[in-house]
Amino acid sequence: MSGQDAATATATAAVNATVTAMTVPGAAEAAEPQVPRGIGASVEAADTRAKTEGTFPYAADLWAEGLLWAAVLRSPHAHARILSIDTKAAAEMPGVRAVVTHADVPGATTHGRRIADRPVFAHDVVRHHGEPIAAVAADHPDTARLAAAAIAVEYELLDPVTDPEQSFGAPALHPDGNLIRHIPLRYGDPEATGEVVVEGLYRIGRQDPAPIGAEAGLAVPRPDGGVELYTASTDPHTDRDLAAACFGLEPDRVRVVVTGVPGATADREDAAFQLPLGLLALRTGCPVKLAATREESFLGHTHRHPTLLRYRHHADAEGRLIKVEAQILMDAGAYADASAESLAAAVAFACGPYVVPHAFVEGWVVRTNNPPSGHVRGEGAMQVCAAYEGQMDKLAAALGIDGAELRMRNVLATGDLLPTGQTVTCPAPVAELLRSVRDVELPALPKDAPEDEWLLPGGPEGAGEPGAVRRGVGYGVGMVHMLGAEGTDEVSTATVKVIGGAATVICAAVDTGQGFGTLARQIVQEVLGVDEVAVAPVDTDQPPAGPSAHGRHTWVSGGAVERAAKMVRTQLLQPMAHKLGMSTELLQIQDGRITSYDGAFSMSVAEAMAGKELWATAQCRPHPTEPLDADGQGDAFVGLAFCAIRAVVDVDIELGSVRVVELAVAQDVGRILNPRQLEARIEAGVTQGVGAALTENLRTVAGLVRHPDLTGYALPTALDSPTVRIVKLVEERDVVAPFGAKAASAVPVVTTPAAIASAVRAATGRPVNRLPIRPSAAVAAPNS
Amino acid sequence: MTLPASLDEAVAALTAMPAAVPVAGGTDLMAAVNAGLLRPAALVGLGRINEIRGWQYQDGHALLGAGLTHARMGRPDFAALIPALAAAARAAGPPQIRNAGTLGGNIASAAPTGDALPVLAALEAVLVIVGPGGQREIPVSHLLAGREMLRPGELIGFVRVPLLHAPQVFLKATGRTGPGRAVASVGLVLDPARRGVRCAIGAVAPMPLRPLEAEQWVASLIDWDGGRILAPEALEAFGEYVAAACVPDQGEPVAPGVLHLRRTVAVLARRALGRALTS
Repeated sequence: MSGQDAATATATAAVNATVTAMTVPGAAEAAEPQVPRGIGASVEAADTRAKTEGTFPYAADLWAEGLLWAAVLRSPHAHARILSIDTKAAAEMPGVRAVVTHADVPGATTHGRRIADRPVFAHDVVRHHGEPIAAVAADHPDTARLAAAAIAVEYELLDPVTDPEQSFGAPALHPDGNLIRHIPLRYGDPEATGEVVVEGLYRIGRQDPAPIGAEAGLAVPRPDGGVELYTASTDPHTDRDLAAACFGLEPDRVRVVVTGVPGATADREDAAFQLPLGLLALRTGCPVKLAATREESFLGHTHRHPTLLRYRHHADAEGRLIKVEAQILMDAGAYADASAESLAAAVAFACGPYVVPHAFVEGWVVRTNNPPSGHVRGEGAMQVCAAYEGQMDKLAAALGIDGAELRMRNVLATGDLLPTGQTVTCPAPVAELLRSVRDVELPALPKDAPEDEWLLPGGPEGAGEPGAVRRGVGYGVGMVHMLGAEGTDEVSTATVKVIGGAATVICAAVDTGQGFGTLARQIVQEVLGVDEVAVAPVDTDQPPAGPSAHGRHTWVSGGAVERAAKMVRTQLLQPMAHKLGMSTELLQIQDGRITSYDGAFSMSVAEAMAGKELWATAQCRPHPTEPLDADGQGDAFVGLAFCAIRAVVDVDIELGSVRVVELAVAQDVGRILNPRQLEARIEAGVTQGVGAALTENLRTVAGLVRHPDLTGYALPTALDSPTVRIVKLVEERDVVAPFGAKAASAVPVVTTPAAIASAVRAATGRPVNRLPIRPSAAVAAPNS
Repeated sequence: MTLPASLDEAVAALTAMPAAVPVAGGTDLMAAVNAGLLRPAALVGLGRINEIRGWQYQDGHALLGAGLTHARMGRPDFAALIPALAAAARAAGPPQIRNAGTLGGNIASAAPTGDALPVLAALEAVLVIVGPGGQREIPVSHLLAGREMLRPGELIGFVRVPLLHAPQVFLKATGRTGPGRAVASVGLVLDPARRGVRCAIGAVAPMPLRPLEAEQWVASLIDWDGGRILAPEALEAFGEYVAAACVPDQGEPVAPGVLHLRRTVAVLARRALGRALTS
């Protein structure tokens, strides 16, 4: 008990710099220690204990009687023609029960969450390293793996296209052509010029979502000829539909059951695992399980788009932006996936949260033979943030103005226009965010502490030397959109039922770790005054709730849960209100009691609910959006979220090693729904941003992935993660969002790399135009 | 899997099953097995052999058991004996790896980035190999360079390292603040009795490289009987000398990556010598 209270107190204290009224409702008068409940309280996730104790079941832990093990044969080449596939040797191995290839796909042979352009199994051409070619089911995982290796594939090697700039002129890599999308955004006067012009070229690397749990799944055939897929899907209904299409089944014959999700900052699960799994289960009539190795995981799932950006900023002598010209080239890999949406975000936010009267942005996303790109949180927005903030630093240097001050002169506010012509109608407290991080005091230099306690770049007992360390301070301001953009039908359905005083939420919104399950419980606690709220496991027999991306579930699924809970509330209160001769609005539920406005009537919620079974289902569908037109104009986004970060870094300028000392974060959150969870989301996002800034880049040579393991792909460790100081959480409620809250996870990811790059620039005087920042880019002469 | 309790039993087990692979901490080997890259016919576990888990003194040398874990070598009592090896052991990875990984394993797997290797090369360590024909000794550099190999049935039993009673430094450059693979590393030891500086650069080549000319040159500049002080310019020149010797040009124009690596090696060598001379 005291441990939990202490944790709550710490979390609260950290956020309390700005938030005052965050006490638990009714905590003051409650005699016994109160468990946090309702909106605004640090309600703990229901699965915390199981997850910390290691008893929480993930897909890799699932078991079924008589299960077979699957293995997938993947292409060792980035680009090759398949001349022949011989599965005979594999099929004849003892213990092998089935081998499937392209020829065994009964339904649609291509799939894709957005555009069906990806073959289930490559058959004529392989387009990226790791593309699936065949799959095997056997009675032992080793047998399956050996059998997959025994499949003889004859390839004719083709030249891989690995430079997106070469993709335009290269032979078509795919029947759909190499250009996936081109957006020419035109806004304002092309002839406008500024007194000061700065140019820059920026390159952003390939970040892998690197979920802590690799892909896994279990497929179980059903007696009716269908199949059930147990997997950590983040978009179960879409996955069901594409699986059913590939299996040649009606959608209701395929059921996706969502298991525990072991980390998801991108789309899960890789269909290249789940489709072979389902095919093998249908083929053998046995349950089939697959648990990917880390290497397969790196090769299979989609990554953040590597991006090349060329910018020209015009400003007047006071540093006010006049015009931004930009060219953005994103590398989609071989298949479209979410690339069109990522490009829209990149183009629309190419100027950042700044007022720009004239903007001309050309964006392209093209196919290559590099590893596939797709949705990773903050996609598009993160790449451009690093570039436009680099430009703001350049402009500040050219004008001799402080970087924060220059940004302050240009910040966006509610009522301003985005370069897409869309008016910013939601709260946009960018100036307040920037001011908050600028004005908070800098972390102390360690000079008063004993020298052996300093944590220098290079780590404890590392090569760092105090004399070569320079400290830099930099700023990043970023923005993301919330919910699907450009006319996506955003809708979620939720059911709330109350039986005998205990409530259950049934909603197909997957809790990927973002905390939707906790939020759903809080909403029901708040609306109905019940303590005991459970969230049902997700499967596709429930109505769809859409993907877990772009902060959707906080908004649409949270909104649906709230509406359903309010409908239950009306059902509960109606008889009493009728008896008292008043409307239900005059009755309120607080602290577990129903009271009338005049206090004359009071009854405990438990008493009122006794013997009743109440159900309600509701939908939430926010206002519609429209696609960007031929000039990149349109009201494409439902909502926007902003963040400002001040980074303080120490750089060993001789070795180029960087340690992020502190990141001061101010974020536009709309409303704090769960302080502890919010803080955790911001810290997680910032840490992913630190990885993108300094170490995370899935390297390829001629399209082949190098070091697809966690030694070669360096995620931030505890020592790499800086102090995250949340200095301000601006609570300006977004009136169109349920509870006025904004999703919090993505925007710190977007902003952190830009802030760190800015700080490294300040420390070294180097341009720092590439992410992740390589040590060679952070080396500087001692007197610069 | 057999678990011998002595070196003799281990040698007997390996001789009986020539296809068997010895495994100590398993931090490299078992990762390869789990990834499906290796499928040893049998394993001979060395974890129960107590005689190689500690060390003993032998006329001015320490005879280190090959089964010493990085965690054990990182402790202060060991650091007082062979400071650079202790520093390398502490830098060798996260605690889970250091608790399992062993000195002998680091040598046997001979990864270019093995952190103990440049230190052993600088110390001119000698490996005591036990095998069916008894014991033999080979310099560590011979094994790492492939000049001499382990024969069937042979094991690294001990590592003989001189006790120099003088400052030693291990430094490495990595991509992150937390434990990481070395981009370049340096082991540097002073040997006042022989008036020598010995230095080896790790991770830049398949085996640690000894810049012998740079060592001799800088040793000749040091006032061994006095304060062992060098001018900053001399330290700088030593770093450049080492880097030029260990990181060749690899064609014209010299690639930016090569230049950065050379600069990194120069800085590490300069700092290592500076720290050794001032500590």
